[in-house]
Amino acid sequence: MSKLLYFIVALLLLLAVLLLGLQVGSFESDLSTIAEAFLNYNPDNTTHYAIVHLRLPRLLLALVVGASLAFCGYLMQAMVNNGLADPYLLGTASGASLGAVIVFFGFVDVVVAGIYMPPVFALLGAFIVTLVVVILGYRKRQLIPAQLLLAGIAISSLVTAIVGLLTFLSDSEGKLKSVIFWSMGSFERASWELLPYPTVALLLALGLFVFLQKQLNILLLGQERAQALGVQVAHTRWAILATVSVVTGFAVATSGPIGFVGLIVPHVTRGLMGTTGKTNLLFCAFIGGLFMLLCDLLSRIIYPPAGLPIGIITSFFGVPFFVYLLSRKNYKFSS
Amino acid sequence: MRHTHTLYFNICCLLLVCLLPFLQGCSEKEPQQEHTVVLQDDLGRKLRLPAQPKRVMAFSPAMTEMLFAICDTATIVARTPNCDYPEGVKTKPVVNNYPVDYEQVLALKPDIVFTSEGITPLDVAAQLQELGVAVYYQKYRTVEDVFSGMEAIGRITGRERQAKHLADSLRLQVKEIAQRHTQNQPPQRILAITWTDPIYVYGQNTLLTDKLHLLGAENAVQELFDQPYPALTREYILKLNPDVLLGGSPEKLEQTFFSLYPELRKINAYQNRRIYAPTGNLLERPGPRVVESILELERFLYP
Repeated sequence: MSKLLYFIVALLLLLAVLLLGLQVGSFESDLSTIAEAFLNYNPDNTTHYAIVHLRLPRLLLALVVGASLAFCGYLMQAMVNNGLADPYLLGTASGASLGAVIVFFGFVDVVVAGIYMPPVFALLGAFIVTLVVVILGYRKRQLIPAQLLLAGIAISSLVTAIVGLLTFLSDSEGKLKSVIFWSMGSFERASWELLPYPTVALLLALGLFVFLQKQLNILLLGQERAQALGVQVAHTRWAILATVSVVTGFAVATSGPIGFVGLIVPHVTRGLMGTTGKTNLLFCAFIGGLFMLLCDLLSRIIYPPAGLPIGIITSFFGVPFFVYLLSRKNYKFSS
Repeated sequence: MRHTHTLYFNICCLLLVCLLPFLQGCSEKEPQQEHTVVLQDDLGRKLRLPAQPKRVMAFSPAMTEMLFAICDTATIVARTPNCDYPEGVKTKPVVNNYPVDYEQVLALKPDIVFTSEGITPLDVAAQLQELGVAVYYQKYRTVEDVFSGMEAIGRITGRERQAKHLADSLRLQVKEIAQRHTQNQPPQRILAITWTDPIYVYGQNTLLTDKLHLLGAENAVQELFDQPYPALTREYILKLNPDVLLGGSPEKLEQTFFSLYPELRKINAYQNRRIYAPTGNLLERPGPRVVESILELERFLYP
């Protein structure tokens, strides 16, 4: 199948899932209700309100977060030249969890100056932990990928242990529920106010790396060959690092640490589009968004009304496909 | 000859089989142990305990309140960290109930531990029974279940008369309250939240549903979920559109709930300012203060 065909199929699927997703909810609604909600919106009609203010932002958030994680996973795998890498390698997920837990357990007020604090602290936590990991992975004025990986794993374990300790010492069941719910990811808090942050971060990053796609592919050849081909390896790595920490940070802060998408979708992309395709990054983000959208829809259909935690669905449906992909003989990580 | 040997052997076996129950009885009976009884609890579990338990405790604050209302307080050997009522409870040693501090429980040697469904995991109870501590579960779906639970505690602890007296006087009060609300108006629909992020609420199969029913009102959550306290979405709550919201003062919920979910400002309860903060310990505890809880709800529903 040609690459263009893949794009067209994915686009049609996306439209179908969006239309289906708009119909799933507590209020009965068919396609005509949805059309009416958009074309002839009546603010007093609660079904219209639910479609426009609850369902649509939720679907778009799932799309953006899925795209962000897949895109960052692709960048990380290219940067460390290893198919095991995912966007959380820099400690983003554990840092964000720590930030959210600090708020949930009452060390900080839940609402300060009218702003809901868990996402804010999750973002702060993600940035601080990423910074520590990067400092540890930096030696002799350059980033050492292997050292960065190890630092990420070590610091993540430490932060996870702190989160575990706080959770264990928790004095209320409600707080535990918040932490558990948060740690498995959810799009239930999606709103038009929240949506712009992860979306703008993703769009800017996508714009940047469409220009850097060539450098990215050369990185896959290894540091020495990339340098010989004139790629400023250090600069590219810094650009990746900054992008991944910001984009993943926003994704995790809005929806919690959702696993597997950032690991699997880049492999799916390379499996379908080849290792060094020009449109790989865009396709990867696109498929990531579509996959997350599908998972969110499934979670709500399987377990209404609240939906299963999204992280469970991504693993359940992602892993079998991943295993199939790995078992294909002609799949290779790098060229 | 051979035949006689076989006969002797058979007689010996027969004798052994006949004696076995007595031998077993001997080994089971500790020298100091008195008469025991076998009971079945609300979950259908069988448990053996002394006919007249002298040392009792509860793993839930509501049941500790029941024990204080029914038993001789000297027989109550401990409380959990959450037990804070009545005042006298504070003189009792604290035992961790989750995770259970097995050693401390054993050191206090209770004859029976009372707990309720959902408070103590079944494997923990099994482990305690292995260690010789009987665990008695109760479960409550209705206010009447709470009263019959009290009577069961009375029977087990040898305080049947006190328990019956207490239960009957509470029944009478409930009956009087219910008689005030037999009018045929459409029932108010109440949503009670237990946590705001994610939104957890009192489901249909909780005691609250029966309390509201006695007050001529109904739980807005009519659907039966697997969990007693299901998680709901904003859209689901918009559809429920409850008349009354319980879970915190209007100011508190404005800060922690409606600022987080501004979409829910559309519900009737918010529009009509019918948002109330029930006393947590009253609403959550199926104990002797259940009538106090119903009276408090009555004040919210019929201001």
